[in-house]
Amino acid sequence: MDIFLQQLANGLTIGSMFALVALGYTMVYGVMKLINFAHGDMVAASAFVGLTIYTQVLGQATSLVAVIAIFLLAAVAMACVGILLERLAYRPLREAPRLSAVVSALGASLVIQNGIMLIWGPQMRIFPELVPQVYWDFGGVVISLIQVIILVLSLILMIALYLFVEKTRMGAAIRASAIDQDAARLMGINVNNVIALIFVIGSSLGAVGGLFIGLYYRGITFNMGWQYGLYAFIAAILGGIGNIPGAMLGGMLLGLFQAFIAGYVSSTWADAFTFILLILILIVRPTGLLGERVAEKV
Amino acid sequence: MKNLERFGFPAFIVVMAILPNLLNSRWQAVAITFLIFTVVALSQDIILGKAGMFNMGQALFFGMGAYITAILNSQYGWPMLATIPVAIILPAIFGVLLAGPIVHLRGDYLLVTTIGFNIVFVQVVQNNLGGVTGGPNGIFGLDSISIFGTQLTSQISVYYFAFAVLLLTLFVMRNLEKSKAGRALHYLREDQLAAESIGINTRIYKIFAFALGAGIAGLAGTVFATQYSAVSPEAFEFIQSVLFFSIVLVGGSSIPGILIGVFVMFVLPEIFREFATWRFFIFGFAMILAMILRPRGIWPASFGKIPKFLIKESNHGA
Repeated sequence: MDIFLQQLANGLTIGSMFALVALGYTMVYGVMKLINFAHGDMVAASAFVGLTIYTQVLGQATSLVAVIAIFLLAAVAMACVGILLERLAYRPLREAPRLSAVVSALGASLVIQNGIMLIWGPQMRIFPELVPQVYWDFGGVVISLIQVIILVLSLILMIALYLFVEKTRMGAAIRASAIDQDAARLMGINVNNVIALIFVIGSSLGAVGGLFIGLYYRGITFNMGWQYGLYAFIAAILGGIGNIPGAMLGGMLLGLFQAFIAGYVSSTWADAFTFILLILILIVRPTGLLGERVAEKV
Repeated sequence: MKNLERFGFPAFIVVMAILPNLLNSRWQAVAITFLIFTVVALSQDIILGKAGMFNMGQALFFGMGAYITAILNSQYGWPMLATIPVAIILPAIFGVLLAGPIVHLRGDYLLVTTIGFNIVFVQVVQNNLGGVTGGPNGIFGLDSISIFGTQLTSQISVYYFAFAVLLLTLFVMRNLEKSKAGRALHYLREDQLAAESIGINTRIYKIFAFALGAGIAGLAGTVFATQYSAVSPEAFEFIQSVLFFSIVLVGGSSIPGILIGVFVMFVLPEIFREFATWRFFIFGFAMILAMILRPRGIWPASFGKIPKFLIKESNHGA
C-alpha cells in the first residue's frame, strides 16, 4: 500500500509535467494537423534558459521573486522562440504536402537540440535548487514541497487555459480554427494570429514544464527534449489529440502509468511499456479517451 | 533530368565498382557505410516514399537484421553468409506482424507507433532480453565472411559484399516500379480511396511494402554487422530512423535524391570532421530550407511514362 500511495504521488507529479508539455502538442496539432517535433526541444531549452537566468542574470539568488522571475523570463523567451519557429519553419509550408512540414519540424528540432548543445555543452548540467528541500512523511509516503508546487501550479495553469479556451472570444477563435480554418477565416477570424497565439501559449506552458523537469529531476541534458516530448505526445494521443482536457487527462494517466511501472515492474522497461500502452490504445480506441472528432478517418 | 538519369546511373555503377581500389582504408570504410546506409534508405523509400506510409522506425529492421546475424554467428556458430536468409526473412515477418494491426492508422499515428517499435526494440536489446543480445555493450568479435572456405577479411571484400547488396536492392526497386505491386503502391499513395474502389487490396499491399522494406533493411543489417564485426544498440537508436526518414523525403523519394541525401548525411561529416559538433545543427537548417524551397524534395521521383498534362498536382499522404 505504501508503494501504491508513493507512486500515486510521484505519478501525479510527473503526470502534471507531461500534461503541461502535451498541451503544446495538442493545441498545435488541433489547428495545424502537424506534430511539432521541436516542442520537446523547446521544453529542454527552457530548462537551460532558466539555468542561465539563474546564474548569469540573478546572481544565484533564490528568493520567491527570483523564482517567479525565472519562470516568467523563461516563458517569454520560449514564446518568442515559438513565434520565430512558426514564422520561419512552419508558415512557409502550410500549403505544402503534409510530409514536408513533418521534415521541417524534425529539422527545427535538430536545430534547437544542437543549438542547446553548442551553447551549453554536451554534458549533463545540474539545475539549481530553487525550492527548499522540504519533505513530509505520511507514514512511509514521502511527499516533497516541490511535488506539491508542481502539481498545484500545473493545475492552476491548466484550469486557466481551459477557461481561456472555453469562455473567451479568443478561445472561441482557437476552437473555430481547429474545426475548419477556411470557415473560421470567412467568419473574420485571423487564423495567422490564432496560430501565433497557440505557439505563444503552447511554448510558454512547455517552458514551465521544462523548468519543472529541471527542478524535479535536477540533471538536464541537451537531448532530453526528445524523450519528454515523446511522452507528452503520447499523453496527447492518449487523451485524444487536438482535445485540450484530453491532453491534461492523458498526461496525468501516463504519469501514473509510468510511476506504477517503475514501482511495481522496473524503470528500465518504462519506455517499452509506455509504447505498448500507446499501441494498444491506438488499436482499441484510436481517437483517444476524450477524442470525439470522427469526421477525419484515423 | 531524364537524360542525366539514363547516363548517370551506369556511370554511378562503374564509379562505385572501381572506387575502393582508389581509396585508402579509412575512406573505404566511409564508402562501405555509404553503401549500407543507401540500402537502408532505399528500403525506407519503399515504405515511406513508394507506399506513402509514415514509418519512422526503419532502424528497427536494420538493427534486427544486424542482431540476427550477430546472434546466430556468435551464439550458434553459423557462418556469416548462412545467416543472410534469416536476417531477411525474420525482419520481414516482424514487418508483417508489426504493420498488420497499424497500417490502417492515419499518418501521424503510424509515425508515433513506429517510433515506439524502434524504442521498444532498443530497450529490449539493451536490457539483454533472453541473454543473447549482450546488453548495452552489444556483441563483438564476429567472424568475417567466407566463400568456399576462403576467409574474406579485407575491407575491399566487405565493400564488394555491400556493393552487391546495393545492386540487388536497386534491381528489386526497379522491378517493383515496373510491376503490378509497384503500380498498386503508387496508386494507393496518391489516392487510397480511389485505389480501393477499383479493387486494389490496399491493406495487403501496405503490409507487403512493410515486409519488403523490412527484409531489405535486415539484409543491410547483416552487411553492417560484417563491416564492424560487432553490433551495439546505439547504432539503431531511433535518431537513425529520423535520419533515414528525412533522407527519403528531402531526397524526393528518387534514387538520385536518396544517394545525395545519404552522401550529405553520412559522407560529408567525414570530409568536414572539424565541424562534427555542428553537424546536426546545420542539417536541421538544411532540412527546413530544402522543404521550403522544394517541398517535394530536391530530386522528386517521377513515376512511369505518364504524360505531363495528365498529372494533376496533388498533396501526397493524408
